[in-house]
Amino acid sequence: MAQTVPSKIGSTQQARSPAETLLSIRNLRTAVSQGEDRFDIVRDLSLDIFPNEIVCLVGESGCGKSITALSVMRLLPTPPVRAIGGEIQFKENDLLTLSDKEMRKVRAEDIAMVFQDPLTSLDPVFSVGSVMTEVIKAHRDLDTNTARTMALEALQEVGLPDPEKRLDSYPHQMSGGMRQRVLIATALVLDPDLLIADEPTTALDVTVQAQILEMLLEEQRQRHMSILLITHDLAVVAGVADRVAVMYAGEIVEQAPVDELFEDPKHPYTQGLLHALPHISVKREKLIPIPGVVPPPQMMPPGCRFAPRCPYALSRCWQERPELEINAGRPLRCFNPQPFVA
Amino acid sequence: MKRIAGRTLYTLLVLFLASVAVFYAIRLSGGDATAARLVASATAEDREAFRELLGLNEPIHQQYFTYMGRLLSGDLGVSLTNSSDIFKMLTFHGRNSLILGVTAFTLVFAVGIPLGILAARKRNTWVDGAVMTFSIGGMAVPNFWLALLAIWLFASVWGLLPSAGCCSPRQLIMPAFVLALEGIALTVRMTRSAMLENLESDHVRTLRAGGLSEARVVNKHVLRASFIPIISLMGLRIGQIVGYALVVETIFGWPGLGQVLVNAVLRRDYPVAQFFSLVLVAIVVAGNWAADIGYSLANPRLRKT
Ligand SMILES: Nc1ncnc2c1ncn2[C@@H]1O[C@H](COP(=O)(O)OP(=O)(O)OP(=O)(O)O)[C@@H](O)[C@H]1O
Ligand code: SF4
Ligand SMILES: [Mg+2]
Repeated sequence: MAQTVPSKIGSTQQARSPAETLLSIRNLRTAVSQGEDRFDIVRDLSLDIFPNEIVCLVGESGCGKSITALSVMRLLPTPPVRAIGGEIQFKENDLLTLSDKEMRKVRAEDIAMVFQDPLTSLDPVFSVGSVMTEVIKAHRDLDTNTARTMALEALQEVGLPDPEKRLDSYPHQMSGGMRQRVLIATALVLDPDLLIADEPTTALDVTVQAQILEMLLEEQRQRHMSILLITHDLAVVAGVADRVAVMYAGEIVEQAPVDELFEDPKHPYTQGLLHALPHISVKREKLIPIPGVVPPPQMMPPGCRFAPRCPYALSRCWQERPELEINAGRPLRCFNPQPFVA
Repeated sequence: MKRIAGRTLYTLLVLFLASVAVFYAIRLSGGDATAARLVASATAEDREAFRELLGLNEPIHQQYFTYMGRLLSGDLGVSLTNSSDIFKMLTFHGRNSLILGVTAFTLVFAVGIPLGILAARKRNTWVDGAVMTFSIGGMAVPNFWLALLAIWLFASVWGLLPSAGCCSPRQLIMPAFVLALEGIALTVRMTRSAMLENLESDHVRTLRAGGLSEARVVNKHVLRASFIPIISLMGLRIGQIVGYALVVETIFGWPGLGQVLVNAVLRRDYPVAQFFSLVLVAIVVAGNWAADIGYSLANPRLRKT
C-alpha cells in the first residue's frame, strides 16, 4: 500500500535550531502502579517535533506508543498509569506542570489527537455536529450557528461525503472510514499546531487507509501543522514521514530522517523491522520476522531491553543499559551496531 | 418507528397469552369457589347449582371467551364474598396503589441514580464504599423483614411514623421506601457501573481530547450514555414493584390492588382474584412496553431517522 501514498522519501531535511522546536519531550518517564510496585512503561524518552513536519513513531504492539501520546495529551488512564518524570515542552509551557484548566485549552486548540479505533471513539448518543460544536464552543466564544458552520467546513475539508447531512448523523450510521474522517475533522476544526494520530488507519481496510493518509498529508501541507504519526506499519512510514523515531519496550532506540533510516538502519531492532517488511526484502526468499515479543513493563530485562531478541547481543548488553547517543549523526541506543544487510 | 410498532404488537400478544395463563391458573388452582359465598353447611346440590349459575361447568376455553367478552364490554362483575362492584374496587384500590407504586418507582430512580453517580464520581473513596455497602444491604434484605423492622423501629420504638393505614403522606413514607429499596439498590449499582464503564471508554477520551471540561463530559455525555442501560431496566423495576406490592400493602395495611388480590385469593373470591391478577399483569406488561419505547427513543442506534 506504500505505493498508493505519495512518497516523501528523498525530501530534504534541513538542520533546525532548538528555538524552533514545537514540541520537545525530555526524558519522559511514564509508569504503571500495581499495588506497591511501579513499572516503567515509557522510560527516558526524548523526542523533538518541529513545525510543519511529520514525525513517525514506530514500534511493535505494546512498546508504549499510545502511552507516549497519551502522556503528551495528559489523557493517561490515571490511576494506574501516570507520567512521573521528565518534561514535555510545548511552545513556552511544560505540559506536565500545567493546571487541568490550562491543559484543556491546549487540547484541540494547540495539540489535537486522533485515536486508534474509529468504531468506538465517537460518542454513540450525540450527533456528529453536536459534538463538534461542543468542542468548538469549549474553546471559542461563538454562537451555535457559527460553530456549526465551522464544523461543516471541517467535515468538507476531510472529504466526508454529504457533510451537511452528516452533521446530524450518529456514528452508527457511518462506515469506519467515514467515522475516522469525522474524528480527524473534529481534531482539525480548531486548526491545531500539532496533530497526534495514533494508528489512524490500522482499523480500516487497505484502500480506505490510503485515502485517509493522503487526506492527512494534504491537510498537513495546507495548514503547515506538524503530525506525530504513530504506527507499526513501516510502509506507511516510508510514504509519509519526514523523520522517524523507532521505539522499543518504552524507549526510543533510533531516530533519523526517513530516507536515511530506510537506507541505512543502524539499530538491530530497526533492521529487524525492515527485514520483516515485504517491500525492502524483495531480494530475499522470505521475510524474517523478529523472534519473540516485546516484554511487558513488569518483565523488562536489566540491560539492553532488546538483548533477548538481538542477534548481535554482547555479554555487556545483558548487564549494562545503552544510552541514546549520537552515532554517525543520529541518536542510537546500541552498544554493537552492525551494518545492514538487506 | 418500525421497532416501536413491532414492540407494541409483541406486547399485545404477550398480554393475550398472559390473560389466558392467568385465567387458567386461577380456574385450575383448585379450591372451591362456592366456599366464598355459600355457608359451610350448604348441600352438594346447592353447590352444584351455584357452579352452574356462575358458568363454572362450561368448558374452560368457553369460560375464557365469555369472561373476556364481558370484561371488554365493561362488565367486571361483583365480588363473591360481599357483592361489591369490582369496578368500584378497581378505582378505589387502584388509586391507592397508584399513589404507592408511583412514589416507590420515583424513589427508585430519584434516589438510585444520584447515589450511583455519586459513587462513580467518588470511586474508591469512603463515599463510594458507603453507597455500595448500602446497595448490597438493600439487595440482600428481604422486604417483608425490612417492613417489620421499619414498623418496629419507626412506629413502635421511636413513634415517628404511623405503623399502618392509608393514605396520608406520613403513612406513605414507610411502605414506599420498603417497596423501593431493592430497586434503589439495583439502580445504584447499575448507574455506577454504567458510569464507570463510560468514563473510561474511547468516546469519552475523544471528548476529553477535544478540551471539554470533566464536569461537562461526566454530566452530559457519560450520564446520557449511562441512561440507556438504566432505562432498559425500568420495566423490570415496575414488575418488581408490582410483585412486592402484594407483600408490602398487606403488611402496612395499605388498601391497594395487592392487598385486594391477596385477600381475594385467601377467600377464593375468584372473580376478584382473576380480575386483579389480570390488572397487575397488564401493568407489568404495559410498564415493560413503556420502558422499551423509552429505550428505543434514548438510543440513537434504535431511533430510526
Ligand atoms: N491502563 C494500563 N494499565 C496497565 N498497563 C498498561 C495500560 N495501558 C497500557 N499498558 C501497558 O503499557 C505498554 C504499552 O502500551 P501501549 O498501549 O502504549 O502500546 P502501543 O505501542 O500503543 O501498542 P499498540 O500498537 O498495540 O497500540 C503495554 O505493555 C501495556 O500492557
Ligand atoms: S545494545 Fe546489544 S543487545 Fe541491545 S540492540 Fe545493541 S547489540 Fe543488541
Ligand atoms: Mg497503541
